[in-house]
Amino acid sequence: MPPAGEETGGMRPENLVWVFGTARTGSSWLSAIMGEIGGYSRWHEPLVGHLFGNLYYERAGHRSEDEHFILGARYREIWLGTVRRFVLDSATARFPEVAAKDGRYLIIKEPQGSMGAPLLMEALPESRMILLVRDPRDVVASNLDAHKKGTWTADLMRKGGKEKPPSLAESRPDAFVKGQARRYVRDVGNAKKAYEGHRGHKVLLRYEDLRADTLETMKRIYSALEMPVEEAELARSVEKNSWEKIPVEQKGDGKFHRKAKPGGWREDLTPEQAEIVEGVAGSLLRELYPVRSNA
Amino acid sequence: MTPRFKWAWRRAVRKGESLRSRARRSSRGVRPENIVWIFGTGRSGSTWLGSMMGGLEGCAMWNEPLVGNLFGNFHYFRVGGRKSGGQYILGEPYKETWLGPMRDLVLGGAAARCPEVIGGGYLIIKEPNGSIGSPLLMEALPESRMIFLIRDPRDVVASSMDARSEGSWLSERRETQRRTSKADRTPNVYVRMRANSYVQQIEKTGQAYRAHGGHKVMVRYEDLRADTLETMKRIYSALGMSVEEAELARSVEKNSWENIPEDKKGEGKKRRKAKPGGWREDLTPKQVEIVEDITAPLLNEFYPHTATTRGAL
Repeated sequence: MPPAGEETGGMRPENLVWVFGTARTGSSWLSAIMGEIGGYSRWHEPLVGHLFGNLYYERAGHRSEDEHFILGARYREIWLGTVRRFVLDSATARFPEVAAKDGRYLIIKEPQGSMGAPLLMEALPESRMILLVRDPRDVVASNLDAHKKGTWTADLMRKGGKEKPPSLAESRPDAFVKGQARRYVRDVGNAKKAYEGHRGHKVLLRYEDLRADTLETMKRIYSALEMPVEEAELARSVEKNSWEKIPVEQKGDGKFHRKAKPGGWREDLTPEQAEIVEGVAGSLLRELYPVRSNA
Repeated sequence: MTPRFKWAWRRAVRKGESLRSRARRSSRGVRPENIVWIFGTGRSGSTWLGSMMGGLEGCAMWNEPLVGNLFGNFHYFRVGGRKSGGQYILGEPYKETWLGPMRDLVLGGAAARCPEVIGGGYLIIKEPNGSIGSPLLMEALPESRMIFLIRDPRDVVASSMDARSEGSWLSERRETQRRTSKADRTPNVYVRMRANSYVQQIEKTGQAYRAHGGHKVMVRYEDLRADTLETMKRIYSALGMSVEEAELARSVEKNSWENIPEDKKGEGKKRRKAKPGGWREDLTPKQVEIVEDITAPLLNEFYPHTATTRGAL
């Protein structure tokens, strides 16, 4: 693979900070705090991890040993080089202000591309990585709320010119819960695999810790990733993006900013639904949250 | 950085990228103009056509890389309204930025897999199951040649049903997934699904074909079956590719249906029937109706003289 920055004349891979995990883990909040600090920019969900990860791991997983397959094992180095170019060229074009100066960083918020995290981190080993996790029961509860009728996801689709089709969240909520739990396992499982394999700067972060003491947790992130930050500026960004600063009418059930309450799943899921999540995601739950009780 | 400066910078970066990409593509590997794409849909005779062309002296066949599926499935069906946005990796405003790496992925992959065609010779890329991404690929590689291979959707669906039924040549993969085929469990649902995917793939292939300014040809499977050698000559002529007629005739003969051993063809085999109109024996009247309803505009466009079970569509 070419040396850092040389192939694009622009973005340096070590200045990329990936945020992986899964949707509804607080990645918008975290990346907003980081992206508003001087010297930092934010790339909001490029979905490049989904692009490559979906074909590689799911739709054509059975073809990985086939030498004709474009993402086949035999030619891994070649296509990983292209994945690298995809990211660096695209980042350079979108964020020239980061590429132009040393000491600037690009936060790539990519929870929905976490399926492809192992490929991205292999293609860009110099990059920094944040593995952001949250209790799967709260993640599923948040998704269950988001996909009900008339919520923010419907507004989002309408902005894109489409009407949201009826969701299983309304018609068969238990089936929806099971599907979301499986998605959690897929996304967080692959993000964790990438984290374990990554030799560069990285940090594992629990949403619950970020909620409990945001400033201290943020300081820990910058320290682990060895990135400079002025504490006063960080404190201002934390304050500006705090839950308390969000207008009341912009938060609550059915809103993008819903509850921000660790353990809120006890109020949101039925006991059966909590059991479904624990059954599907039990292994990750025990590993990431060893002291928490189950339903 | 002021917004004005920012945009000027972006323009310069994009321009620089384009120039460097051009330099890269001229300096190594497989020539894009020597690539011949076969798009359409699965079970339309693309393996047969690809074998006849790829078997000629100095040529090679790349069998289903799925590179079209990689980009097309994602771009057209998974990202919704994000396509026009600036954040999404394949966003329209940054097309120049990602068409270059897309091009390199194909050319780099081709050079690694088929070094025999570097510097000359044609590379046939059989990509029916990647047809969904054909508009993107032909835009990334405008010098390439393109074959739009089409077959009656009723025969395509009938062939796909057979391929996925219990004990067929595709059942091995299904066994590893430990589930029975939808073609067996709910055949009419499968027929509907396959007819819909036919429409998606053929519509995207048609879109790429219309937009492509380079050499291209449309071929009906039925014509290829009726007079293979003459149809092959027409393909080479339309694509502006020279070929020795005697060699072409030998390849046609070698790959003919008659030369396939009896034990390697028939129901449940990859080479099944090769019989245009065979759907009449394979599909139920209800299944025919489903396919004809879903594919009506395409049947009208590409098979205007073919009768349907309900008369004119």
